[in-house]
Amino acid sequence: MNAIEVNNISKSYGKVKALDGVSFSVGKGEVFGLIGPDGAGKTSMYRILCTLLLPDSGTATVDGFDTVTQMNEIRRRVGYMPGRFSLYQDLTVQENLEFFATLFGTTIEEGYDSIKAIYSQIERFRDRKAGALSGGMKQKLALSCALVHQPSVLFLDEPTTGVDPVSRKELWEMLLMLKERDITIVASTPYLDEVRCCERVAFLHRGKIQGIDTPERILHQFADIFNPPGLSHAKETEVKEENVIEVSHLVKAFGNFHAVDDISFNVKRGEIFGFLGANGAGKTTAMHMFTGLNQPTSGTGRVAGYDIRTEYEQIKRHIGYMSQKFSLYEDLTVAENIRLFAGIYGMKDAEISRKTDELLERMQFTEHKNTLVASLPLGWKQKLAFSVSIFHEPSVVFLDEPTGGVDPATRRQFWELIYEAAGRGITVFVTTHYMDEAEYCDRISIMVDGKISAIGTPDELKKQFHQPDMDHVFTYLARQATRKSD
Amino acid sequence: MTLKYLIQKEFLQIRRNAFLPRLIIAFPIVIMCVIPWVMSMEVKNIKVDIVDNERSTLSQQLVHRIEASTYFIFNGQKPTYQSALKEIEEGKADIVLVIPPDYGKNEMLGKDSQVLIAANAVNGTKGSMGAAYLSQIVTSHVQPSMEAIRSGVSTLLLYNKHQNYKLFMIPALFAIVMMLMTGFLPTLNIVGEKEAGTIEQINVTPVSKWSFILAKLIPYWMIALFVITVSLLLAWIVYGITSAGSIGLIYLLAMLLALFFSSFGLIVSNYSNTMQQAIFVMWFFVVCIMLLSGLFTPTRSMPSWAYLTTYINPMHYFIDAIRTVFIRGGGFSDIAHQVFALLGIGLFMGGWAVQSYKKNN
Repeated sequence: MNAIEVNNISKSYGKVKALDGVSFSVGKGEVFGLIGPDGAGKTSMYRILCTLLLPDSGTATVDGFDTVTQMNEIRRRVGYMPGRFSLYQDLTVQENLEFFATLFGTTIEEGYDSIKAIYSQIERFRDRKAGALSGGMKQKLALSCALVHQPSVLFLDEPTTGVDPVSRKELWEMLLMLKERDITIVASTPYLDEVRCCERVAFLHRGKIQGIDTPERILHQFADIFNPPGLSHAKETEVKEENVIEVSHLVKAFGNFHAVDDISFNVKRGEIFGFLGANGAGKTTAMHMFTGLNQPTSGTGRVAGYDIRTEYEQIKRHIGYMSQKFSLYEDLTVAENIRLFAGIYGMKDAEISRKTDELLERMQFTEHKNTLVASLPLGWKQKLAFSVSIFHEPSVVFLDEPTGGVDPATRRQFWELIYEAAGRGITVFVTTHYMDEAEYCDRISIMVDGKISAIGTPDELKKQFHQPDMDHVFTYLARQATRKSD
Repeated sequence: MTLKYLIQKEFLQIRRNAFLPRLIIAFPIVIMCVIPWVMSMEVKNIKVDIVDNERSTLSQQLVHRIEASTYFIFNGQKPTYQSALKEIEEGKADIVLVIPPDYGKNEMLGKDSQVLIAANAVNGTKGSMGAAYLSQIVTSHVQPSMEAIRSGVSTLLLYNKHQNYKLFMIPALFAIVMMLMTGFLPTLNIVGEKEAGTIEQINVTPVSKWSFILAKLIPYWMIALFVITVSLLLAWIVYGITSAGSIGLIYLLAMLLALFFSSFGLIVSNYSNTMQQAIFVMWFFVVCIMLLSGLFTPTRSMPSWAYLTTYINPMHYFIDAIRTVFIRGGGFSDIAHQVFALLGIGLFMGGWAVQSYKKNN
């Protein structure tokens, strides 16, 4: 008997068809990938299988139980790990686990064997609040919580968004371990290396299954979506010898803890600089100092010619910033958002409306000028946020994980925008967890434990550490980290 | 000129909210149309049980008088005090009047005639007011001359001649509406941006603290203007009550109160990390400010340590001043003291709101 049978499931929200006649089956103990671009209907499918949503038509069974009529049986047997918000940030690690165990009428002791391999890695921090954990550790805890009642089917909806490559690898090693215990796993992910870990994948696009096959065949068949040809970075503008960012011996300490510990580097005008590091290595803290949100404990730095210790309000005039959290106002329209931020930077009404039309024209987005940002797909929001952050032509733009959770084709379009900006002479300072994006940068630095442990062009780094690609370079360096605790 | 864009954004956000514009309109209407009818200290409809042990002409006359009174509902005659008391215990009656067997006889003989009034004082006001009304009826029944004596003492009620409770309450309701509208909406504002993550984007822009906070305050002042206008109109249309003094002064006072509350809301919002925290803190302060202000109870009857707090309570100054203008028709010189106090407190809070907004940490 198959663990999951889906027959002709459809689901609409108003006029939008999220799922349209979807059918597939997953065998017991299989690792099955459900992949597709943003808004393909993946989350709706998960919610139907977890009995959180009723389908409009069609039937689905999980472990032989119908998702509509026998939902209580299913809820006892499945573990669900949504992409975000599955933990209580104010509860400690142990309290979270106890809470989920109690929900399913079991205890940590009873379920301990099934989560031991995962939970033992974070058990040291059982008294720490879940909100204070790093991204990778949160995922481990969330997985422990989803497994504590020994489910037979596990649903993972983009579990690794915003998690660094090393933690992602660890998570998948654990998932493959679960397979040995005959747990069926259905997962979705925007990362290709994770897709390749699945035995079979279904490609969902616009609510329909486009194909079900081994990962290699699917990725090959839909290469234009998953594996767009790499970007060739034609050097339109030469990188000038002038430094836009100069940092020397910068330290940011919170009490005894040195989040950023003595870093020094320069970024030249027109460069695309990749600022890499594992979760909790200190990237965001460093970026906050460069953007004037925070001042260093010691050390000096200049951004766009201004001192980061004293002239941070001037810096803000000359930079653009796009934060990890989505940063536009969701309840304003596209044009209103542009107008607001352009107005803040002191642009005049006439100039704003002219440049807004130009920008939307260039992005082929004119028809969505008066659309509320909340109703745009994620990829579009990110592109728009980037365009807004460089609308006032800053000399540097800081991008903090701008492409988290975005599918490969959209990420490629995003990078085209970055190249375009760099071509206009805007220096781009970007953090990312996608190693293919790291290859797109002119120069990268890798931060480990608050220090910069490598800096150079992607090719130089590969040579220096004798690794075939950036993914291996990163893994090699990040595994040397001793500061796993945060 | 960034202020223009920021204010526009605040208004757009309020308008886009599915709920806020309706609330802003419905809130003053509901408060002004419902509450004045309910908030009255007058006691009516008191249920009386009578135990008449004499059943003489005189005692029956007394019963009829009580029946005729508009304050009382005659609940019936009971055979014994015990059975009447039982009705009180069951909540069917509020007051028992026991007429002794020799009530009429004593009266005829010119002796002191006594009756027993037993009132349920669980609801203190109802009990004591009911007992007082009832004893008035009894006294005037046995000694009609008393009424003549009383009419000799004249009480002159100034300003609110008919002791109209609505006239007393309506300025207080202005205060409550203003407090809730201009206090709670800003409280949720900045902390809401913190939760959405948009505050970080604002913090990396060169926008100044002053214009950011001012852009947050101005929309709430507009809302305050709107709300006080609606409230004044409703008081006039529904109750026929208009201000005895200058409307301009009323608007001035309302704006000063709005300055205080909107600044206070933003301060709370600046220090909070979650909406839950912000709203809870605000609620605590609002209840204290309201109950210590003399909205419902005279501040002079507070213990002196509590009375001291009224010196920093803007609501106290507001309610004092608005009653002076609205009911008594006072001019600026009568409320200058309160206006300057409100202005001082408001400016202090406004400065603090700017101060507590941190673009850097």
